[in-house]
Parts: sequence; structure tokens; C-alpha cells
Amino acid sequence: MIQAKNVYFKYEDELILKNISLEIYEGSFTAIIGANGSGKTTLAKHFNAILLPAKGDVLVDGISTRKDELNARKNIGFVFQNFEDQIVYSTIEEDVAFGLENLGLEQDKIKRRAADTLKRLSISHLAKRNVNTLSLGQKQLAALSGVLAMKPRCIVFDEPTTMLDSRNKKSIMGIIKELNKKDKITVILVTNVLDDLKYVNNVVVLKEGRTIFNDKKSKLNNKILKVAGLYD
Amino acid sequence: MIKRLTIGQYRERYSFIHGLDARIKIFYVVVLGFLSFRLKFGLEMLIFSLFVFGLVYSAKMRLGELSKNLRPFYSVFIFLVVMYLIFSRSQIEKGMIYLWRFLMLIIISLALTFTTTIMDLIAAVEFFSKPLKVFGVKSRNVALMVSAAVRFIPVMFINFERSREAMSSRLADFRRIRHIKVVVLLMLQKMLKSASCLSDAVYARLYDENMEINKMPKLKINDYISMVAVAAFAVIIY
Ligand SMILES: Nc1ncnc2c1ncn2[C@@H]1O[C@H](COP(=O)(O)OP(=O)(O)OP(=O)(O)O)[C@@H](O)[C@H]1O
Ligand SMILES: [Mg+2]
Repeated sequence: MIQAKNVYFKYEDELILKNISLEIYEGSFTAIIGANGSGKTTLAKHFNAILLPAKGDVLVDGISTRKDELNARKNIGFVFQNFEDQIVYSTIEEDVAFGLENLGLEQDKIKRRAADTLKRLSISHLAKRNVNTLSLGQKQLAALSGVLAMKPRCIVFDEPTTMLDSRNKKSIMGIIKELNKKDKITVILVTNVLDDLKYVNNVVVLKEGRTIFNDKKSKLNNKILKVAGLYD
Repeated sequence: MIKRLTIGQYRERYSFIHGLDARIKIFYVVVLGFLSFRLKFGLEMLIFSLFVFGLVYSAKMRLGELSKNLRPFYSVFIFLVVMYLIFSRSQIEKGMIYLWRFLMLIIISLALTFTTTIMDLIAAVEFFSKPLKVFGVKSRNVALMVSAAVRFIPVMFINFERSREAMSSRLADFRRIRHIKVVVLLMLQKMLKSASCLSDAVYARLYDENMEINKMPKLKINDYISMVAVAAFAVIIY
């Protein structure tokens, strides 16, 4: 569904991504792991055309993100690393409506779909609460609901568990797993928590902007993790 | 901090005024504000006050809530009264009118924000900013900006408080300009980072500034009834 072909990217003059090629298959559950600053977020932002490669190409369903941003963004949702900043409106209900409006849906359809999404994530009771009074775990779900309601075929989660306590960690990972298994949503999980790998089938390991591993999880070993700086 | 920032927040209740169209309510605030400037001391003021308290009553605002929301303004009132008493006793009557107008305007605005969700208010702002198109202002951007301000200004205060606490716990002294500068810079930095993330997120969810969305419903019968009432009131008092 997503293909990266020899992607290079730089901020100012510093090369951040170096010749990255990979493929994300429809319905798969892929983890992108790497140490802090290895370029995970930068790579992930290429998948829905928030960043465009300096060299090389990213294709979504065979169409370059350079040529068609909309195609990439409609199909690929993104839950940001600092998900708190991703909530535009003061209540979850309004925030969910924001994305649906952008899809051009009618008001009553927006209401219905928003309600369904909140129910699905069991946060209906928070719909009208001021976002600033929510806990971090609840804000995470709020950010997810805004993305999920738009029914993307693939969702990128950028370090969804890093800031949460173990109970919230477990619950959000449970939800992500279910989205992949039940709803057949392709999931890309950016993480540096090795524990999260138990849920995934494919793994991409980044080190200083290069892929040093890109294969089935079963082929991953501690040596590679050591080189990536994720295991000692 | 959050608790202090809840002036004039929407209360979900069912009243005639809650049900009115947000655009009309904004229009009434302007009309009433304008009217209040034409009034003379005495009977007219009394009638107007009664009308405003009628509004408060029919909006199902509780007097306790009202006085709580007026609390931040008390010190301003007292200050003004004292100023008049000291410096221009001869003009005390005029001064009272000014204060009264100020008070009425605040109460009317509170009646608006008590009975209208922020979502509806923003949609109305979007509606009213449509004519600005000729100056190249996109009404959708205006609405987004207002929403983001409503959402992130409290966050700014929280961040400020956090930085201040973190610095205080390492013995910063906020009587020193240098330390004040650091907190302010820290806050600005955080704001810029949030803003850049917000902008990414907004585009990730397909934001299009040129999109025209008609969120405003058609006017309902109650809207027309209210128009007649306000028009009649305006004629009587004018
Ligand atoms: N807006 C930016 N401007 C300049 N440099 C940036 C910017 N964003 C990221 N970088 C740099 O790009 C490199 C990769 O950053 P990126 O955020 O992709 O890493 P990451 O793997 O997601 O790290 P983390 O685990 O900390 O989230 C870092 O060296 C970072 O300093
Ligand atoms: Mg990152």
C-alpha cells in the first residue's frame, strides 16, 4: 500500500533520511523502531505527504505523494507524537467534526459518525468536556478519534505509548491491535519500546537515517537491536 | 489556573434563548450595546435594566453564576467609582451611567456565551467574516484561528505555570529581569513547537482553507419571534 523508493530527506543542510526503501503491505502491522533522533518521525511524516522527499519517491497505492497529497492524506491517518497539540478544538466532539467537515460530509452524517467513533473508543462521556481538563490517556484517545472517524485505510501511530502509564499503554495497544485485526486497518507503529513489538508482524529498524533491518519480526535478533542502540 | 479561565462558559440548559440562532444573538448584543449608548439617566435606564434581567432570567442563568462571573470586574468597578468620587464629584451622574452601561454590556455578553456553544459562536464568526473575502481574508481560516486560540490560550497559561514552577524549584527569582526573560522565551518556544505540530496535524486531516461549508441552519420560528420582541423593545426605548 505504501512504498518508499530511495528516499532522501534533509532539514537545512543535515541529511536526516538516507536512501530509504521499504514497503508497507495492506493489512500489515509494521513497527518502525530506532533510537532517539534516528529519523522515525521524519520518515513517518513522509507517508501522508506532510513531508516530501528531497530525492526519491513515496508512493501510496502507486501514486506519488509529490503528485497527489490528498490521496495520501485521505488514506493514511496520523496520530502525532505530541498528540496533545493535534487537537484543534476545545471539545472532542468538535474536534472529531473538524476532519469530517474537511471530507465534505453533511452535518447530520458528521454527528452520527462522530458519535459512533466515540462510542467505539468508549469515550462518549467525554465528548463535551474541555480538552484541557482531560488526562493524557484520554487526550491520546481524543486525538485517535479525530483520525479514526475519517476512516483511513492505514494509521500511523508515532510513539503512542511513550508518555503513558502501563495501564493506559496496554489499553491503547489493545485498541491498536483490534483496529488492525478487526477493522483491517494497516497499522504503522513508530516506537522505541521493545515490548510493543509483540503485537507486530514486520519491523523496520532505523539507525542514523538508514534502514539497518526491514523484514519479518521473526528474523529480528538482539545483535541488530544492539547496533541500533535499543538493547544492551 | 484552568478554573480561573472559565468566565462566561457555556451551560447546557434548555431555554428559549439557548435555542436561538447564534448569528441573531450576536446581532442582538450589538443592537443592545448600541441602544445602551443612547439612554438617559432615569426611567429609560430602569426599563433597560429590567429588560436585561429579563434576559438573564429567561436564559436560565442563576444569579449566583452571574455574580461569580462578574467577580473579575468588581475591582475595576470599585476603582472607577473611587476615581469619580475623588476627581469629579460634579459628574458623578454621568459616571454612574458609564458604569451602568459597562455592567449591562458585560451581562449581555455573558448571556450570549452562557447560552451559545463555542462551536456555534465560531460558526457565526465564520459567517460574519465571509464578506471579508474581498480583502483576501478566508473566513474558514478566521474560524480555525479563533478555535485554536480558544483551545491553546489556556494551554499557554499552563505551560507558563509549569516553567515557572520548574524554575522556582531551582531557586529562580522572578524579580530578576533575566529570569523573567527565560520563562517568556521558554513559553514562546513551546508555543512555536505546538503551532508547527498543529499546522501539520491540520493538514494531515485534509484542511482546505477554500472549502465552503454551510454550517448555519435556517432561522427557526423562535428566531423570528425574538426579532419582533427585540425590535419592539428598541422602538419603545428609542
Ligand atoms: N523541524 C526540524 N528542523 C531541523 N531538524 C529537525 C527537525 N525535526 C527533526 N529534526 C532533526 O532530525 C533528526 C531526526 O528527528 P526525528 O524526529 O525524525 O527522530 P525520531 O527518531 O522521531 O526521534 P524521537 O525518538 O526522539 O522522536 C534529529 O536529529 C532532529 O534533530
Ligand atoms: Mg519522533
